[in-house]
Amino acid sequence: MNKKSFTLLLSALLTFSMLTACSGNNNKNNEAAPGNAGTGGGTDAATAAPEPEKPTEIKIMLPLNTTETPPDTIKTEVEKLTNTKLTYQFYPADTYEEKLNSSFATGSLPQVTYLKNQTTFIQMKESMKDGQFWEIGPLLSEFPNLNKLKPEILNNTKVDGKLYTLYIGRPLARQGIIYRKDWADKLGLKPPANVDELFAMAKAFTEQDPDGNGKKDTTGIVDRNELVYGAFKTVSSWFGTPNSWGEKDGQLAPEFEFPQYYDTMDFFKKARDAGYMNQDFAATSKTDAVNMFVSGKAGMYIGGSMQDIDTLNKDLVKNYPDAVLDTHSMVAGPDGKFAQWMIPGYNNVVLFPKSAVKDEAELKNILAFFDKMMTPEVANLMYWGIEGTHYTVVDGKAKPADDKELIEREVKGFKDSVIGEAETNGMYQSLNVLPGRIHAEELLLENVKVGVADPTAALDSATYTSKGVELQQIISDATYKYIYGQIDKAGFEKEVQAWKERGGQKIIEEYNAVYKK
Amino acid sequence: MQEVSAQPGVVPELKPKSYKSSSELKKRLWRNKLLYVMLLPGVLYFVIFKYLPMYGLIISFQDYKPYQGITGSEWVGIEHFQRLFTEPDFLNILGNTLILFGMNILFYFPIPIILALMLNELRGTFFKRTFQTLIYLPHFMSWVIVVSISFVMTTMDGGIINELLSYFGFEKINFLLSPGWFRPMYIIQIIWREAGWGTIIYLASIAAIDPGLYEAARMDGAGRLRQIWHITLPAIRGVIVTLLILKIGSVLDLGFEHVYLLLNSMNREVAEIIDTYVYTAGLRQGHFSYSTAIGFFKSIIGLIMVMSVNKLSKKMGEEGVY
Repeated sequence: MNKKSFTLLLSALLTFSMLTACSGNNNKNNEAAPGNAGTGGGTDAATAAPEPEKPTEIKIMLPLNTTETPPDTIKTEVEKLTNTKLTYQFYPADTYEEKLNSSFATGSLPQVTYLKNQTTFIQMKESMKDGQFWEIGPLLSEFPNLNKLKPEILNNTKVDGKLYTLYIGRPLARQGIIYRKDWADKLGLKPPANVDELFAMAKAFTEQDPDGNGKKDTTGIVDRNELVYGAFKTVSSWFGTPNSWGEKDGQLAPEFEFPQYYDTMDFFKKARDAGYMNQDFAATSKTDAVNMFVSGKAGMYIGGSMQDIDTLNKDLVKNYPDAVLDTHSMVAGPDGKFAQWMIPGYNNVVLFPKSAVKDEAELKNILAFFDKMMTPEVANLMYWGIEGTHYTVVDGKAKPADDKELIEREVKGFKDSVIGEAETNGMYQSLNVLPGRIHAEELLLENVKVGVADPTAALDSATYTSKGVELQQIISDATYKYIYGQIDKAGFEKEVQAWKERGGQKIIEEYNAVYKK
Repeated sequence: MQEVSAQPGVVPELKPKSYKSSSELKKRLWRNKLLYVMLLPGVLYFVIFKYLPMYGLIISFQDYKPYQGITGSEWVGIEHFQRLFTEPDFLNILGNTLILFGMNILFYFPIPIILALMLNELRGTFFKRTFQTLIYLPHFMSWVIVVSISFVMTTMDGGIINELLSYFGFEKINFLLSPGWFRPMYIIQIIWREAGWGTIIYLASIAAIDPGLYEAARMDGAGRLRQIWHITLPAIRGVIVTLLILKIGSVLDLGFEHVYLLLNSMNREVAEIIDTYVYTAGLRQGHFSYSTAIGFFKSIIGLIMVMSVNKLSKKMGEEGVY
């Protein structure tokens, strides 16, 4: 071999070693792979003869609402308490739908799969009907703690009368206004008692220089490109619009066929035209909206959860130490009545794909883990963290530690995965110190008293499942166009007609068919 | 590497003649075995990442259910393609895609060429290098950043451009939400981010031009512009055509991320393109077969375009890409 071909060979070898190095890395990234090979046999053995001392191995995929994957601090403790070996696969919530769909398409969902929200749940309904996930309804009674889950909420998550999911509970109605109380006080304004006062407040916050810097640089309401979790739906329910669907002449009809929906659109049109809300709200992301609020440019943050006041307050007082926030949700409609739309009591659910959970014995082992998660001990650990480090107990309530960053890093990732709610899993209620937050908790209870439920939450429409999200886009586009003055009432009705022709009419019929039963 | 190519017996075999017997072929193969070994990673890459995935195209003819897999899912024929072509918005979406593509070719494509010619005329090396680096830089920013920067600059809620407009007594312009501004914004962002990067290949091919040609032209009294027109441009014509063909191949592939970030309810009628439609109608609702069918359609159009443009360029006396 001469020198030249030696060089050739060497470079070829180098290329290969680089390639193999890369693939080696891949394996390492996918840490679960070697463990997985080992456990395949392990779980089989466990299912054949369940030995309590052998920890159940569970792989869990869930959305992550923070920027970093949490360290194993909490996980290790949970494993000890539940006799499991857990592998958490966290994926950023922003792109979770894509991850969910691509994993699903390739049949690589893990044994425990968290969805993202109600919308992803509706998308998965068809696959549940196809039998791609385990039905767990009949098994719940075998587990004392899981059996405590609220039947009315479980009912909302049923598909064709069968239960496939466990739910992560949330207060039924958390929406309301988070507003600058210091501004309101300065201008002598009371929290708005009705929609007219709400408009007046937006006007005053814009025109009367509430921050006292002599410039007209504030807006009343800050909103974002989101009709449901932004301001629109919340204000809409104050106007008396039904929650997504309502009864009209004994028939179910979509919300946008009710006059109150138009009233709401007019409200926002007026507010935007006059400059009482951010002009570009249809293109504003949540981050941008929150930034506007905490940088002191806007006075009211509507929609979303009133419990967010803690985070907003934290960032706002960094910029304006004298700022005071408060919450409010009792805004009467033109008819003087209070109303508040309600979610179906869950914000997310857990599924068990048949492609990953091989048999019922394995499913039961996994459910046993969730059963333990619903004991106060485990629920507190996952929701609040480690006592003494992340929280302390004061008057039987959990008081989060001052180091919010630590909690965010180590606990938040697990917090959003706890099944049930404080009433069912026995975890501590939170001890709130911020007056606005304490007020928010009171308002949550008030909201439920005037709560409006979505009558279709437990109903099923095949057309809605397959095309509903796509069709809804027609309506939300039209709503924005109406608010921005691009189309008028007739134009909006034309879009509603298009919605009906492209499948909406079928959805109406299908819902009404099951509604009457 | 130069050493290797200088070795007699390796280079001349780039154009193999037909061999009389298979034993001779074998001998030749064996003699160049190291070259073939080096070829292997490349071949493997294409087989694994480009050819094997084509198997997945099958699901565009199926009602794909992940649990049942490709082998177990039901066949539905061309139902998904029919759905695509009968979709009320289909023509609009296809039109939007083609218009954006046309603007790409018309407004973006010549800019790197012009930039490269201009850079080439710069004499001071330091200045030239600095300028070149500066126009490269935006390429390394993600679309999210580029779009966020333009959001902050153009928003009506305190964006600098609108503040300036109103300061000078003009009406504020709703850049972000008006359908009329979507296309200009799109193309300006592309030019800002990519133009500098696009000059690289042109600069490289300009650098390969024999300086003797310029000297001769100068002797004959040609000025700067004459030199550009008669020497530089003809010399890089081949590169221009090749890049144009490659660009046309990706006709329906405008980059999902960029458009999706600019898309909103108010400009959907001009901004919805095939890529974003695949995402909203297909992937987000889990209609895998449908999305695959759209992707398939896109690839076929791309293939047809490349082949016809390639043929055209050969007719016009250029080399083409294959």
